[in-house]
Amino acid sequence: MAEDRRQLYKSLGFLSSLGISMVAATIIGLAMGYYLDRWLETSPWLTMLFLGFGIAAGFRNLFVLTNRELKRQQREEEKNDAGS
Amino acid sequence: MTHPFLFLQWLVEKLKFGYTPEQLADYGYFNHVTYAWATMAILILAGFLASRRLQKHPEGLQNFMEVVLEQIERLIGETMGAKGRAYFPMIATLALFILVSNLIALVPGFMPPTANLNTNAALALSVFVMTHAIGLKEHGLSYIKQFTGPIWWLVPLMLPIEIIGHLARPLSLTLRLFGNMYGHEIVLMIFLSLAPVLVPIPMMLMGILVAFIQAFVFTLLSMIYFAGALEEAH
Repeated sequence: MAEDRRQLYKSLGFLSSLGISMVAATIIGLAMGYYLDRWLETSPWLTMLFLGFGIAAGFRNLFVLTNRELKRQQREEEKNDAGS
Repeated sequence: MTHPFLFLQWLVEKLKFGYTPEQLADYGYFNHVTYAWATMAILILAGFLASRRLQKHPEGLQNFMEVVLEQIERLIGETMGAKGRAYFPMIATLALFILVSNLIALVPGFMPPTANLNTNAALALSVFVMTHAIGLKEHGLSYIKQFTGPIWWLVPLMLPIEIIGHLARPLSLTLRLFGNMYGHEIVLMIFLSLAPVLVPIPMMLMGILVAFIQAFVFTLLSMIYFAGALEEAH
């Protein structure tokens, strides 16, 4: 029971942090595109292109993080099963 | 939203230390720095007291510190594998510093240094720089392959995506910790100004939970990033 609770808090903390990592990537992409546009005066093309890159990077971040966390939890469960 | 009373600020205003009145008036902007120093002082003191008389059968503070560090080491083993042990000092420092600076918020007259963007940005940037230093040290120049993806004609597409993804990491680390701690601070301050007796206590209980979860999340994510840099390119 206590072990379950600990896992719950760990997953809670991890999952609640996923949203912002997606938003951050989108914002970085948007900012890069916006300032490149202001510098090269090609508005609005680079903004749109880099916004697309940012969104893709956000989804990629989500994918990588979730994949790693899942693997970690699986390893932990296997170890617990072997230990008990 | 300002704190009604900050102990270190009060101390400096009383003792003056030879500052001019203008400098003292600006002192409030640097509370996060002095409280970060206070956190460091607490940690150094704890480390000194715990290691002053080392025993084979640890008791008291030494026992407690050993349990804490063993937990962190176990987490590193799970997340990063055997190679990650080399980075234990950095990760343990991050974890303990963030945890103590989050928990310091619950002491009256203290504010958490992590409720300020600058402290968090410093922590996140050191993780960012360390990640790439580890990658370059482990793989040399072929570390760049991690950014270009598996197929050569996809490089113009993958490179910006990877770079943006990597730049987003320090930003999200900073904002996550800052948002949680600052939000908690503001809620506490509002409750304190509305009803100072008993009402803020449930919020402070939540603050303990938030402090532990955020310290854990920051540490876990830095471990994940380090592990990503340690691994072979795909």
